Amino acid sequence: MEQNPGPADASPDLAVQLGPLRLKNPVMSASGTFGYGEEYSEFIDLGRLGAIVVKGISLKPRAGNPPPRLVETSAGMINAIGLENVGSERFLAVKLPFLRDLGVPVIVNIFGNTIEEYGELSARLDGAPGIAALEINVSCPNVKKGGMVFGTDPAMTSRVVEAVRGATTLPVITKLTPNVTSISEIAKAAHGAGSDIISCINTVAAMSVDIFSRRPRLANVLGGLSGPAVKPIALRCVYEVTRAVECPVIGIGGITNSTDALEFLLIGAGAVQVGTANFINPAATVEIIEGIERFLKVEGIAGIKSYIGSLDTSCLFPFAEDLCTTIASEIS
Amino acid sequence: MAKMIEEARIINQQRISGQIFRLRLHSPGIAGAARCGQFVMIRIREGTDPLLRRPFSFSRIYPEDGDFEILYRVIGRGTWLMSQLEPGSTSSLIGPLGNGFELPIDRTVPLAFIAGGMGIAPLLELIAEVISDRGAKGAEKLRLFYGARTASELLPEDFLTGPGIRVHFATDDGSSGYKGHITQMFEEFMAEGDFRPFELYSCGPLAMQYHMASWALSNDTLAQLSMESLMACGIGACLGCALPAATPDDPESERFVHVCEDGPIFSAGSIKWNKILVQQMPPPTWLFS
Repeated sequence: MEQNPGPADASPDLAVQLGPLRLKNPVMSASGTFGYGEEYSEFIDLGRLGAIVVKGISLKPRAGNPPPRLVETSAGMINAIGLENVGSERFLAVKLPFLRDLGVPVIVNIFGNTIEEYGELSARLDGAPGIAALEINVSCPNVKKGGMVFGTDPAMTSRVVEAVRGATTLPVITKLTPNVTSISEIAKAAHGAGSDIISCINTVAAMSVDIFSRRPRLANVLGGLSGPAVKPIALRCVYEVTRAVECPVIGIGGITNSTDALEFLLIGAGAVQVGTANFINPAATVEIIEGIERFLKVEGIAGIKSYIGSLDTSCLFPFAEDLCTTIASEIS
Repeated sequence: MAKMIEEARIINQQRISGQIFRLRLHSPGIAGAARCGQFVMIRIREGTDPLLRRPFSFSRIYPEDGDFEILYRVIGRGTWLMSQLEPGSTSSLIGPLGNGFELPIDRTVPLAFIAGGMGIAPLLELIAEVISDRGAKGAEKLRLFYGARTASELLPEDFLTGPGIRVHFATDDGSSGYKGHITQMFEEFMAEGDFRPFELYSCGPLAMQYHMASWALSNDTLAQLSMESLMACGIGACLGCALPAATPDDPESERFVHVCEDGPIFSAGSIKWNKILVQQMPPPTWLFS
């Protein structure tokens, strides 16, 4: 192994290429935790982000779920916001113009309750200047299939991705739910249907109750867990997906600081999204970018690209190869 | 008005009575920009548990000192940890947030303040500002109706009496003042007819706010209600702090307002009170949470 040359003077190269999407650094906001960007403009220079993923948009505005909509849990929170959003028309007229001038790729998270809605919405956003990519939220119930969540079935996931793919020339990202038996199968289906990039994970299905009032803490009873508590689950999912599909993967789930972000990059995520951490620290994204840069400098790594996917899963007992072989044969 | 992240220094932590504490923080940026009725999100400590910041309204603002105070009652793990903060230590804040109270332009009109439990907090600053605006004589037309479950959950009287304001106490168990709910006492007092507020300012538990809003609407009285809610961000991003919005043009339609951005101060007519679920009433979390 070569001698570590020590901290380099030049700034490390943070740029990443995610299929058709080029980002100046691998850190973006996660949908639903960053509003439409503007909410954070008083706290950080939005121009520094790798990309901004906006709050999920539907064809028509949605009111969302009745409150209470969120509850705090150990190192996490459960939400059941219900995808409240301004709808595609108002997004294009009022929210997008602000984002367009930032010089940052804008990724629009989209969802629908039918396959047709996904297609129609994608077509509508396709011509709008200032959108860099679409991220499909497949964690929605399909009203035509008795409320079954699109993203829990490979065939339904394919059909959603095909509908979007057929309606837009923009890069397509599919955001997967972890609430499935095999996330690899869903990832393969999404990629096979034309998704350029996979992002994962969405929130983990969860619940919280109050022993005194004997009521669920969320009006919706069930919600989605996010925050540091889900990070190990997210790492496992990203690890599996990066090994199941050839396309780039964006890691999401409990990323709070640059160490968390680097863990996802190490296991093969080409970029990361920061979610719940934005609520606690509105400057989290920028601090994570700075932290990654510092790490690369200190470690003497010239660019993030060489770090991505460099996880060493070879023999975990380098001085006992026999033992390793034995274990390996027992496992298989 | 600019929102900011500021590292605040704890100036003073005082146990006032029972589980009620007062925290004074040095935070010149936020204290300089804050208005009464607004709030801050406090990071009680670093780390991931508790994960979220906690919202607290300003109970006093001292812009010239760069300080403000909050009042809180220890009800769970977060507030218990907060009560352990020592002077000299620091805490991260986001603020000032929300819309704040509006004072009537006419300085001579009678005003009623209704506080339930820790709902007294934002009203302390409001009352102080109204009195300093009107002078001691103008304070004669102010009435504070202040209730809690029991006497130990009330602030001592010397915390409340600005020059001239009349305070009417109530406790559910009768351990101090009127025996019964603050809303009952308020209604009985209004029925006597000697005092008729031009506007009322109210902060307290949801059931009380509902009651005060209904009274204001049926008596053609203006009302500003300071609402509380669980919230993750305080800056309009998480959309967790939703309340059902009144939709007078289309009563069937469903729309929500958000306590952090549209509030925390709401007029009586802006909320669809009968659509708020009982669940929204904050559950007792005690020390298990």
